[in-house]
Amino acid sequence: MVELKHITKIFNRNRPDEFTALEDVSLLVEARKATVFKGPSGSGKTTLLSIIGAMAKPTSGRVFLDGREITSLPERFLTEVRRRTFGFIFQQFHLIRGISALENVMLPAYTTGEKHAALRDRALRLLDLFGLAAKARSRVEWLSGGEAQRVTIARALVNDPAVVIADEPTAHLDTKLSKDFLGIMAQLNAEGKTILIASHDPLVYESALVDRVVEMRDGRLRGSGQAA
Amino acid sequence: MSLLERHRNIIDFALSSLGRRWKKNIALTLVYAFTVFTLASVIFFTEAVKREARAVLQGAPEIVVQRLMAGRHDLIPAVYIDTLKKITGVGQVKGRLWGYYYEPSTGANYTVVASGNPPLEPGTIAVGQGVSRTLHAAEGDLIPLKGADGAYVSFEVTRVFSHASELVSADLIEMPAGDLRAFFGIPEGFYTDLTLKVRNEKELVVVADKIRRLLPDTRPILRDEILRTYDSLFDWRSGLLLVIFAGAVAAFIIFAWDKATSLSMEERREMGVLKAVGWETSEVIAMKSWEGVIISLTAFFGGTLFAYVHVFFSSALLFEPVLKGWAVLYPRFQLVPHIDPYQVLALFFLTVVPYTVATVIPSWNAATVDPDSIMRL
Repeated sequence: MVELKHITKIFNRNRPDEFTALEDVSLLVEARKATVFKGPSGSGKTTLLSIIGAMAKPTSGRVFLDGREITSLPERFLTEVRRRTFGFIFQQFHLIRGISALENVMLPAYTTGEKHAALRDRALRLLDLFGLAAKARSRVEWLSGGEAQRVTIARALVNDPAVVIADEPTAHLDTKLSKDFLGIMAQLNAEGKTILIASHDPLVYESALVDRVVEMRDGRLRGSGQAA
Repeated sequence: MSLLERHRNIIDFALSSLGRRWKKNIALTLVYAFTVFTLASVIFFTEAVKREARAVLQGAPEIVVQRLMAGRHDLIPAVYIDTLKKITGVGQVKGRLWGYYYEPSTGANYTVVASGNPPLEPGTIAVGQGVSRTLHAAEGDLIPLKGADGAYVSFEVTRVFSHASELVSADLIEMPAGDLRAFFGIPEGFYTDLTLKVRNEKELVVVADKIRRLLPDTRPILRDEILRTYDSLFDWRSGLLLVIFAGAVAAFIIFAWDKATSLSMEERREMGVLKAVGWETSEVIAMKSWEGVIISLTAFFGGTLFAYVHVFFSSALLFEPVLKGWAVLYPRFQLVPHIDPYQVLALFFLTVVPYTVATVIPSWNAATVDPDSIMRL
C-alpha cells in the first residue's frame, strides 16, 4: 500500500522557468489493485508515478510505503526500495540497444549480487512466459514494437516487484497489442501484483482490469481521485 | 560473495557495453597500447643495455692509465709500469695494445686489439660478428688490411666471436701483439695504455691521486667513471627517443582525455536507464570505472608485453639505430630479459591511473542524474 500526503513537486525552483507539476496531492493506493491515472499531457501523471515509484522526491509532502515513510531516505536506501518494490514499464521502452533481450531483462538484477546463472535462468523463464524465448539472444533493436514492450515488461518483473508501474504503455501500440498488454497486466494483477498505469487511452482506463481511475488535471487530482 | 557477484555482473555489463562501441574502443586501446609500448620499450632497452654494459665492465680493470700529449691520448712508455707497480696497493700492471682501423669500403670503424690468452699465431686474426658481416669474412678467409705504412697486409680469420659477446665484440679485430705493433707502427717499449689491478677497491681514489702526482703526464680512468659515462650516455639517448615520441604521447593524451571526459548522448541515456531500473549512482560509476580499467589494463599489459618481445626477442628493431649508436656495425645480440618492478610500477601509475581517474569524473557527473529524468524523455 502506498500513501501520499500533501505532495507538491516543483521543477526548476526559484528559476524563471519554475513550474509546479503536482500541487498538494494526497492519495491512498491500495495494494493488489489496478489503478489508472488519467489526464491530458502535462497533468502530472508521470511525475506522480515517479514519486510513488521512489524515483523522485517531492518538494514537500510525505510518501509512505506499507506504513513506512520513505521520503526522507537517503538515495542508497531509496534505490533499494525502488529495486525491490517497483517494476517500471516506460512509454519509450528505454531498452539498451546493442545488447540482447536477455541482457536487457537481467539488467535491474545485476546489482543485487545474485548469481549470474540463477539470474539468467529467471530472465529466460520470464521471456518464455511472454513468448519471447526464441528472441532471447536477439538484439533489442531487431524486435518489433510488441516484442520490445514484452521485453520491457519482463525487465520490470525480473526482481519480482510488488508494484508494476506503467507510463503511457499503449502510446506506441496498435489496438491488438494494447489488448495483449492489458491481458498481461490482468494476469499479473490476478497473481497479486499492484498495477499503476498512467494513460489517457480509453482502451486502458475503460478496461475491465481497472479497479480505480484517478483523474488528474494541472497537477491536481479531480473528483473521486482526491483523498478524503 | 554477494559483493563479488555484484561486481562480476557489473563487469559483465561493462564488457558488453565496450563491445557495443567496439570500433571506438579498439582504436583507443591500440593507440593507448602503442604509447605504453613505446615508453616501456625505451625503459626496458635502456635498463637492459646499461645492465649489459655494467656486467661486461665488471671484468674490466679497476684503473686504466693513459698518457696525454697536448691534451690528447698518446702512446705510453713501458717504463711507467715499474713506477706504477711501486705504488702501495697496486697489484698487477699490464700494457695494452689497441687502435682503430677505418675501412673505407664499408665505412666502418673497427677496434683492433692485441690478442690475450690464448695468443693468436702471427698472420691470423679473430673478428667480431659485425666485422664478419661487413667484410663478408668467415673462418679461413684472408682479409687484406691497410697498415700504417700504406701497404696491405693479409690476415687469415681463424675465429669469429660468438653472438653472445656481440655487444662488446661486434667491431673487434683481435691480432697478435707483434703483428699489431707492425700494423700500426707502434714501437717496442710503448703501449696504447696501461691497466692496473688494485687489491682494495676502497683505495682506488687514493691510488688514482698518487698516479696523477707521480706521472703528471697521465690520466687514470676509474672503472666506475666508465660505468657512469655509459649510464649517462644511454640515459641521454633514451631521453632523446622519448622527446621524439613526445608528440605521439601528447596526441594520445588529448585523444584519451577527449574520450574519457566526454560521454555521448547515448551513454548518458543508458546511465539514466540504469538509474531508473534500480542501479545506484555508485554502481553506475563502478560500471564506467570498470570500462576504464578494462581498456587501460588491456592496453598496459598488451603494450608492455609487446615491448618485452620487441626489446628482448627482436633486439629493439624499431629504434636500435638511436639507442645503440653505431653507424655501420649494429650489433645483433639478444639482451638478457630483465624487468625492474619499480619501473613497471611507475609506468603503470603514469598510464593506467590517470586514464581510469579521467573516466570517473564525467561518469560521476552523468550518474548523479535523477532516475526519473528518463521518464521525461
